[in-house]
Amino acid sequence: MKKIKAIIIRTAGTNCDYELKSAFEMCGAEAERIHINELIANKNKILSYDILAVPGGFSYGDDIASGKILSNEIKNKLGDNVKKFALSGKPIIGICNGFQILAKMGLLPKPEKFEQISTLSYNDSNKFECRWVYLKTEKKQGDTKCIWTKEIPDVISLPVAHGEGKFIADEKVLKEIEEKSQVVFRYCDKDGSKTQYPEDPNGSMNAIAGICNDKGNVFGLMPHPERYVYALQHPAREGYDGVYGWGKQIFQNAIDFLK
Amino acid sequence: MNSNVNIVEINSLNDNQLIELSKKNTLSLSLVEMKEVQKYFKAAKRNPTDVELETVAQTWSEHCKHKTLTGNIEYAEETSKGKKVKKYSNLLKETIFKATVELNKKWCISVFKDNAGVIDFDSKNGVAFKVETHNHPSALEPYGGSATGIGGVIRDILGVGLGAKPLANTDVFCFGLPDTKYSEVPEGMHHPKRIAKGVVSGVRDYGNRMGIPTVNGAVFFDKGYMANPLVYCGTMGIIPKNKAFKEVKSGDLVLVVGGRTGRDGIHGATFSSVELDKESDVSAVQIGNPIVEKKVLDTMLKARDLNLYRAVTDCGAGGLSSAVGELGEKTGVEVQLEKVPLKYKGLKPWEIWISEAQERMVFAVQPKNKHKILKLFKQENVEATFIGKFTNDNKLTLTYNGKKVADMSMEFLHDGVPKPTRPAVWKETKQLKQKPVKASAKVLADDMKKVLSDINVCSRDWIIRQYDHEVQGQTVVKPLLGNSIHNFGPSDAAVIWPYTVVKNTKKAVVLSNGLNPEYGKIDTYKMTTSAIEESVRNAVCVGANPEMLSVLDNFCWGNPNKPEILGSLVRAAQACYDMSKGFEIPFISGKDSLYNEYTIDGRTYSIPPALLISAMGVIEDVDKTITMNFKSAGNYIYLVGLTKNELGGSVYAKIKGLKGIVPDVDIKVSRKLMKAMYDAISSGFVEACHDCSEGGFAAAVSEMAFAGELGAKINADLIKTDFQMTLTEKLFSESNTRFIVEIMPENKEKFEKTLKGFVFAQIGTTESEQSLVIESKKSKISIKTKIKDLQKSWQRQLLG
Amino acid sequence: MIFEIAIKMKKGFSNPHSTHLISDIKGIGVKGIKSSEYMPVYRIDSDITKKQAEIIASELLSDKITEEFSIVSYNSLSDKKIEKNSIEVWFKSGVTDTVSESVVKAIKDLGIENEVKVKTGHKYIFKGETDDKKLTKIATGLLANTLIQEYKIK
Repeated sequence: MKKIKAIIIRTAGTNCDYELKSAFEMCGAEAERIHINELIANKNKILSYDILAVPGGFSYGDDIASGKILSNEIKNKLGDNVKKFALSGKPIIGICNGFQILAKMGLLPKPEKFEQISTLSYNDSNKFECRWVYLKTEKKQGDTKCIWTKEIPDVISLPVAHGEGKFIADEKVLKEIEEKSQVVFRYCDKDGSKTQYPEDPNGSMNAIAGICNDKGNVFGLMPHPERYVYALQHPAREGYDGVYGWGKQIFQNAIDFLK
Repeated sequence: MNSNVNIVEINSLNDNQLIELSKKNTLSLSLVEMKEVQKYFKAAKRNPTDVELETVAQTWSEHCKHKTLTGNIEYAEETSKGKKVKKYSNLLKETIFKATVELNKKWCISVFKDNAGVIDFDSKNGVAFKVETHNHPSALEPYGGSATGIGGVIRDILGVGLGAKPLANTDVFCFGLPDTKYSEVPEGMHHPKRIAKGVVSGVRDYGNRMGIPTVNGAVFFDKGYMANPLVYCGTMGIIPKNKAFKEVKSGDLVLVVGGRTGRDGIHGATFSSVELDKESDVSAVQIGNPIVEKKVLDTMLKARDLNLYRAVTDCGAGGLSSAVGELGEKTGVEVQLEKVPLKYKGLKPWEIWISEAQERMVFAVQPKNKHKILKLFKQENVEATFIGKFTNDNKLTLTYNGKKVADMSMEFLHDGVPKPTRPAVWKETKQLKQKPVKASAKVLADDMKKVLSDINVCSRDWIIRQYDHEVQGQTVVKPLLGNSIHNFGPSDAAVIWPYTVVKNTKKAVVLSNGLNPEYGKIDTYKMTTSAIEESVRNAVCVGANPEMLSVLDNFCWGNPNKPEILGSLVRAAQACYDMSKGFEIPFISGKDSLYNEYTIDGRTYSIPPALLISAMGVIEDVDKTITMNFKSAGNYIYLVGLTKNELGGSVYAKIKGLKGIVPDVDIKVSRKLMKAMYDAISSGFVEACHDCSEGGFAAAVSEMAFAGELGAKINADLIKTDFQMTLTEKLFSESNTRFIVEIMPENKEKFEKTLKGFVFAQIGTTESEQSLVIESKKSKISIKTKIKDLQKSWQRQLLG
Repeated sequence: MIFEIAIKMKKGFSNPHSTHLISDIKGIGVKGIKSSEYMPVYRIDSDITKKQAEIIASELLSDKITEEFSIVSYNSLSDKKIEKNSIEVWFKSGVTDTVSESVVKAIKDLGIENEVKVKTGHKYIFKGETDDKKLTKIATGLLANTLIQEYKIK
C-alpha cells in the first residue's frame, strides 16, 4: 500500500516540527517539513499530500499577535488550495501556534466560510504557561465528532506551552460550535470536572482547548499531543501498552482514517 | 587612507597620555599593553589607524583573552600551618585544564579549544555544552541583556565544530533581594525585582522563540548582587562526530550570515572588563532578534549536512574582529568592510569591524560552493554576504572602498598581549562550630516552613513555567516533578532524550548544576568543592553514571587587581583541580567574568564570588532514570551519607544569624558513594532519590513528600552523624554527599547490599496519611506537619 | 504621511497586560491609580493611502474578534499631540525594533508594495489620581528603560 504522506508547514520561528515529524513517522506515515516559500513558489504542491499539519512555535516571532503574520501569508498566497484541502475531507491539524493560525485565517471552525470568527487571545495570567493539563474528550454517545480523537479516553493529559491560548468567539459562534459538538477537548480536573487556573491555563470560553470543523477532519488545539507519544514523556510516566503516550493515538487516528 | 578612518597618534605619547588614550576610547588596555602597541607601531614606523587600535583592544580584552586566568600570579597563603607562596604562569592551564589533560578521557572529543566542549554521545554523535555569562549588559538592560546572553550561548553551540543542533538551555541567575526598599536602590540602577523580571522575560522570549527548552537552572538571591546581577546562560547540543572539527584553508571565502551590523554593542568586549558606574557606556547594550537566529539555525544545519563550508564561528564579543580574526589566525585574512550589510548608514569602518550586533555567524566557504550556499540561505530569507577571503600571509588586512585601513600581523594580534603579573593573597579565617542549637517541636515545625519559604529554597515555578521546558518533546526528567499534574517539587537534574535527532536511541543527556555563593563568603575552596559535588550528586539522583560526567566552570568574581579577591579565585581554581582529579571528572569548557564591581558615591561594592559548575553526562538507558517524588505508601526511606555538624553558610544559619563550619567534601568517600548510588539506581532498586542541599534534610524530605502527595514518618535518632548532634542540626545541616532514597520493601536487601561499606540508615517509611512526622525519642521531640502546609510554604510568591 | 495606529480591546474584553500593570504600579508604591489601559501603537511612515492604512490596521494589526483600532495621521511628528493621563514609550532611534521588521514584511504580504517605515510603541492610559510625578515614576520604574527607550507623559 502507498505510504500516507503528511506535510508539516514551517517558516521562520516554527519549532515543533521535528517532534511532529517523529510522531507521524512512528504511526507509519511519511512526513516532510516544507518551508512556506517552497509552497508559495509551487502552489499545487500542497495538494499532493494526504495530511496537512501546522506545527507549534513562534511563526515570525508571533510579532503583532500569535500566528497573525503566517495566517495572513497562507491565506493570501495559498488560501484557495488550503480551503480545497480542508473541504476535501483530508485531515488537517493545527497545534498551538498552528491552532492560532487556523483560527485566525478562518479555517476553523468553518472552513466553508473561511473567515475569522474566533480567536486565541492572551492568557488570563498574562504569562506564558508551560505545564501539563487534564483534558476532557468530548463525546456524543461514546464517540467523538473529530476524526483525530477516536479511541481517546474520556480524560487524558497533555502539556501546554503558550502565552496566547484563551479561546474566544462571539456568543452565536460559541453556541453553534457547542450545538454541533465541535468542541473536541476541554480543560478539566483529574476526574473530568470543571476546573480553574492553573489546570485551566488560560481562561478560555467554556474551557475550550481544542475544536474541529463540522466534518471533523480539521482539528485545532492548544495542547501538544506530539510531545506525548511515549509514556516516558509524561510527568508520572503513564501511558498505554507500556510504552506509548496518548498523543500518539491522535496521529494514528488520522492515518487510520485515511486507510 | 580614508576620510572615515583616523590615524591615532600613539608613537609620541608618554605613559600618562597612553593611559588617557586608553580610557578616552574605552579600550580597556593597561599601560603595559598600550606600550606594547606603541612598540609594534614604532617598529612599523607609523601610527595605527583607529580600526587597528580598536582591533587590538578587542582581541586583547579580558573577555576574549582571559588575561587574568592565563597570566602570571604570585599567590601567598597564610594558614595556621604557616605561610606558603606559589607562582602560577597560567592559572587555568595549571589547575582546571591540567586536570583534564591528566585524566585524558577517551570520550572527550574537543575540550577547551572550540566554542564549546564536546564529548561522546554514541558511536556517531557527540554532545556539546557551553555556559556563558552576560552580567554587565543585564544590569543595564535586563531584558535585552539576558536575551542576548542566551542568544549568544546558542550561537556558541551553532559555532562549535561545524555546528551542533541545540537541544536544551540552562540558566542560572544571582539577583539582589526582591524585597529591597526602593530607597536603598542606588540612583541610576534598576530595582532587583525589575532586573529579575526583565532577565527572566529576556531568557523566556529568546529561548522560547528559538524552540529550545530551558530545562535546568538555579536562582540565588543576595543583597550583594543588587547592583551587579549575574546571568549565566547555557546551551547543550548534539553534533555528528565527523562534523566536530573545523579547518580554514587559504583561499576560502569569508561569509557573514544572519543579522545586519549596526552600532549595537560597540565596546561590549572591553566594557565587560570595567566596573559599572552611573555613566557606563550605553551603546554597549545589544538587542536580540531570536527569529533571525532561528532562521540561521534552520538553514546552517542544512548547509552543514551538505558539506557546503569548512569552518564556522559565531560573532560574539568583539564582533567580526574576533570571529574573523579567530578563523584566520593561522592563515591570514583580507576583509572588505564596505561589503558588510548594515542596519543603517553612517557606521565608521572601525564600528563595522567591532560592532557586537547579534545573530551573526561567520563561515569559511570553499570557492566552489559559493553559489550553492548563497542559494540555500536565500531560500529561507536569510541574509548571507561574502566579505573577504582567507589568505596565506598571516596578516590581518582590512580595506574600506579599496583603501587599506588595517594591516597587522596575526602573531602580534593573537600572541602579542603582554602577560601581566598579579599578586594574590589568602588568609585563613577560623571556622568554629556553633554552640549546640536546640529548639522545641513547635519552633522546629515553624523553622521547617521558614526554610522552605526562604527565598533561596522556595519554588521557582513562576520562572520555570514561563519557559517552554518541553519543546522538542525530549525533556523526560523535567525541572518540576510530581505524582500528579498539580503537585510538584524541584528536580535535581534534567534528562534530555534526543529521540527525534538520533533515531531509536535509548541514550540520553543529563544536565545539572551546583552553585552556592553563601559558602564562598566564608571559604571559596569549600564553595568550589561543594558546587562540584552538588552538580555531580544532582546528576546521580536521576540515574546518571558519575564516571561518564563532565563539568564546566563559570567564575564570576570581583576585581582581580585586588590581591585578596584574586587569592580567593586561586583557591577556587585549585579546588577545581583537586575535585576534578579526585572524582576523575574532566572540565571540558569554562568561562570567567571578572571585574564584577560597582562604584557609587565613591564606594566600591564587590559581588560575593560565585562559581557555577554545570555538569553534563550521557545516560546509557533512559528507561532507568528516576525522579525525586515519593512514589507510594509503605516504602522505606533511607538517608545515605553522613550528616555532620555543618551549619556554616546554611540557609538555617542565615535565617537564625548563626555561624558554623562550611560543608566539606571527602573526595574519596564521595566518589565511591556516588558510584554505589548509581549502581543501585541503574539496577532498578530505587523508587525515588533526592539530594540534601540548601535547607538540609528537612527541606529535601518535605519536597519529596509534597511532590508525591504522600506522608512520611522519620525517626531522626537513626540519622547517622559523626559526633553527637541536636535534632535541629540534623535537620538543617547542609553536609554534602547525602541522598534521601525511597525503596520498596522487597528491594531492601538488594539495596543494602549495593551500599555495603557506606554510611546509610533506614530512617523511616512513606505514609498514605499526608503528614510529615519527624520524631526523636532522645530529644523527646515529635514534629507533625501537614504536607499541604509545607507545600504552601515552599510555593510562596517569588517575583509575581 | 505618518499614520499612528493604536490597538485597543473591544468592550467586554480586557487585556491582561492592563490588569497586571495595576498590581505592578502598587508594587512600586504609587497610589491612587484606578485602572490602566494598554495599547500597542504602530507608527507607519509611508505614502500609503488612508484606505491602505485601514486595511493594515484591520487585516494585520488588530484581531477581528477582540480588538479595535484607531488611526491618527499627521505630516510631521511635531504635529503630534499626546493624550491626557497617558504614557507613551518608544524605542530610541538606532535601537533594533524587531517587531517593526516583521510588520514591514507582513504589509508586503497584504499586497501593499509602497515603501514603509515602521516603529512600534506602547501607550498606556490611566484613570484615577494621576499627576506628572506619579506618571514619571511609573514610566521610569516599570514601562521604559531610558537607556534604549524614550517616554512621553501627559
